[in-house]
This record gives sequence, structure tokens and C-alpha cells, in this order.
Amino acid sequence: MTTFSIASRDELWLRGALVESRLMHGVATQRGDSIDASDTRDDELVRACDLVIDAAHAAVASFRDARVRIVVRATHDGEVETTMTIAVDGVSVVTTPSDALADYELLHRVRNGSAPLCGAIVWQNGSAAVLLHEAFGHASEHDAAPVAWPSWLSIEAPLTSRRETFRDVPLMRMTHLIARQTSAPFVMPDERVEVQLVAGGAYDPMTDMVTVDVAVSSAGPFTIRRSRAEIAASLAGASGEPIRYPGVICSREGQELYVASHAPVMITDGLL
Amino acid sequence: MTYRKVGRVLRYENGIRISISEIGEAFEENGVFQARPAVEEPAQTRVSVPHSALADLNQCVAQTLLSVRSGRIERFIASEGVATHEIDGSKWTEESRRVHISLVNQPLRALIDLASFDVAIIKTVADALARAGGERDAPKRIRLAPNVSAALLPSLIGELAMEQTGGGFDGRGRPIETRAVTHDPPPNWYRPGYAVRPVRAWMNIRALPFGRIDHDAPLAIALLEPIHGTSLRILCVDGDDVFPTTVDGSHVAAVSRAEPVWYPYAAGSFGVEMML
Repeated sequence: MTTFSIASRDELWLRGALVESRLMHGVATQRGDSIDASDTRDDELVRACDLVIDAAHAAVASFRDARVRIVVRATHDGEVETTMTIAVDGVSVVTTPSDALADYELLHRVRNGSAPLCGAIVWQNGSAAVLLHEAFGHASEHDAAPVAWPSWLSIEAPLTSRRETFRDVPLMRMTHLIARQTSAPFVMPDERVEVQLVAGGAYDPMTDMVTVDVAVSSAGPFTIRRSRAEIAASLAGASGEPIRYPGVICSREGQELYVASHAPVMITDGLL
Repeated sequence: MTYRKVGRVLRYENGIRISISEIGEAFEENGVFQARPAVEEPAQTRVSVPHSALADLNQCVAQTLLSVRSGRIERFIASEGVATHEIDGSKWTEESRRVHISLVNQPLRALIDLASFDVAIIKTVADALARAGGERDAPKRIRLAPNVSAALLPSLIGELAMEQTGGGFDGRGRPIETRAVTHDPPPNWYRPGYAVRPVRAWMNIRALPFGRIDHDAPLAIALLEPIHGTSLRILCVDGDDVFPTTVDGSHVAAVSRAEPVWYPYAAGSFGVEMML
């Protein structure tokens, strides 16, 4: 028998004003293939959420031109997770209170360009983590057949049993993804598109296809749709230490979970 | 004005059975929508799903698993729920059944959403999917099965003659009345869950019958993707042939006069055979 308990506070702020506020709590007890769940309250978990969300309010009030969603989740294992999704002019990042200001400023700094959509792609800001989240992480969740990744690339994407709420069936999901390079080749291509922020992505286990929607780049928004093998073969180089990407809220089977994502600056060739 | 919901759902989800009991409330205060689990009152009794409904759910699961080869089922969720709703002096009870199943025969994926435990539809689509051939151009005339036309209707609001079907209450406890569906703001509010802020929506829409259905036209029996605008990627049956195709659903040539069936698309949509 296993027991899962959770509380969460979920708030939506528009231009510095609170517009929606939700409290959720509950317990799920699993015996074999059966789960018995109810909205039973654990006061300690609710208090943990209240403490953290109060601390996050200070940051939100200053984001006067943004749509901000704060979600604090406290679970029975002692974990308290806070995520802030900040959107300005339709482009968003997912961050934490400690990085919120820097990522809010990033949203104002990055701009779509009008370069031709051709050449190599240089994945800045750790955005390659999203590409690998779909092509490596989700494929692992679905036990997909291996593909040949470059020998200079190592990817840490452990799977564990996770669920969004007490109402959900737990699934094997990524906790985080960290891509690292060791002695990777890196020559900045003359003809290139530089990706700053990604809007979303998907992996289809039936077709083994990866889709990534780029939100901000030197060539404007665009979409990549390639097989996992093509993605792996396109990895042409990387440089430096893993950079924290301000994302990712990962949705699978309708359950949205935060996945911390890090990758070095990476180059792919042949995807455009 | 506080909305209160007491509910219980029994759900089968990809091999796991889950029972969920909740009492929730929601209200707006100074422009802020707030939702939270309700403090249980001593007189408040939680609701139960009748034993007969549980038996129906188990039977649906068993029959579906028996009638579709296991490797062909990508996702299978079936649920039986009961809920009492209370707001502004109105109180009502709803029972709900839902099935979502995705069936695969690479590279095709058929999506089925139902508000009944209709295993016959699932079996029909599964059998056809197993025989599916290659992609074909859209036929000049094509019929849409009720489960397909119901998915299309919300995209045709204001473009096709349809009405909101009266009966029951909306998310703010107001009666749902029969009305012509237009581009104008809908009179009713849709609240899919207690923690979701209600939005204006046309509820339980149905297309008004017209024209004549050509029963020899190929029949679209399932969606192969969620609908994008009015573009439908569908699994089509023409005699002994089964094939995937993509059609534009914006020009409806006929709507059957048969009794429509309710499907869980948008804020409720009645499906009936239609012809493009």
C-alpha cells in the first residue's frame, strides 16, 4: 500500500493584480491496481504552501505588464515546489521565485528577428534542453528504441513515479533533464538561426516524431518536426557548461509537471 | 454567490481503477475567482456511484479489452460519475459517463470520445482501423458519423443553422433554454469543474436537419486527429475499403433527421449523421 498526499496553491495574476486563486488538497491510497482518493486536508502541507506563496507575491507585484501564474505544491515527501509562469506579449517562461526577475528581464530583452530560416540552429539560453526533453526524455518514458547520440553528449533525465494531483494516476515521468558535453566540437556557423525561447514541444511515441515550436529566434517563430533519429544525427556541436532553461511545464496524459531543464549552447545542422 | 459541488467519480485509466471523492466550492470576491475544497458539514453526505453503474463501467472495460486487440489500444479511460451542484438556490444532480480511447494501427491513431459505454462504436472503429489502407483524396461527398459530426459542430457556430438544446442548468445555476445559436454572446455559462472559472458558451448544441443524406456516400467513422478549425483528418469507410483522408468540414450539405446523441465536445454537442 502506498499513500500520496498533496496540497497546492495556484494563483493567476494579470498586470500585478490577483484574478484567480485556488487551493487544492487531497490524499490517494493505492493498493495494487486500485487507488482510493479524496480531498482530505493535511494542514501541514497547506501551511507549507501558504508560507511559500506569500514570499512569491513580492516578485509578482512588480511585473506590471505580465500574466503570471504561480503554483506551489507541497507533497508528503517534504518537497515544496514553486513555479512561476510569466508571459509577456504571448511569449512565456517558466521559472522559480529566485530566478523570476532575471527571466522577466530576459522576456523583455529577446526579440524575434527576420533572418532567413536556413542553415544551422544555435540553441541559446539552454533551449536545447527542450529539444532533448522531447527527443530523449519522453522517448525514455515510452521505452522507445535507442538512437545514436553523439559520443560527446551525456544526458541525465531520471524517471520516477509522479502525478499532478491526488486525482491522477502516477506515471513514470522525468524529474529533470541535464545535458552535458565533453570535448564536443564547436564552430559557430556563419549561416545560422539563433534560438532564444521555445513555446512548446511534443513527442509522438507512435510515429517517433519530435515537434518543437520555437517562440523567439533570429528568424522569428518556426516549427521543427523531425524523427528522433534525425534529431540525434543533427547534433553538430556544443560549448560550455549546462545553462538553466526557463521552462519546462511538461504535459502528459493531461498532467502538468515542472521539469527543470539544463543544456549547454548547442548546434544542430540539417533541421531547417 | 457560492457554487458548491459534491462529487464522486470511478475511473478506469490504462489498467488502474481510481475512486475520487470531493466536495468543492467556488465564488468571486472583488473580481477574484476563488476555488477550494469545502469544509465538510456534519449534515453533508458525500455521494456514491450506484453499484449498477459500477457494474456497467466494469462491463464496458472488460468488453472493450476483449473486443480490441491489446496492442491496438494506446490509451483507454472510462469513467462513471455522480455529482450534486448547488448555487443561488438551485440544486441539481447529474450522472455522467465518459469514454476516451485512442486506437492505433501505425501510422494511424483513431480518437473516440463518448458519453456512453457504447462498445459497439469502439469495436467498429477498431475493426476498420485494422483494415485501413493508404491515404486517399477526399471524396466529393462524404457522410460524417454522429461521433464525428458532434466534434465538428463547435467549429461551425454561427456558420451552420443550429440550436442550443434546452434542459438542465448551467454553471451559474441558470436554466438552459432552447435558443438559436448565433455569433452573439451565449446566454449561458459553462463550468467544466468547480475549480474552473465559468465562461460563456453555447451548451448542448445540435444542428438543425435539412437536405438529403446520400446513404451511398463514404462514411467517416472516426477522427484521426483532434479537429483543427474545420479541417478533419478522418478514417473513412467506402464499401469494403477503409482509408484515411482529410476533408474541409465548413460546407455541410445535409443534416439527418435521426435522433441525435450527446457527445462530450466543448460544452456539449449532439451528433447526428451529416453530409459534406
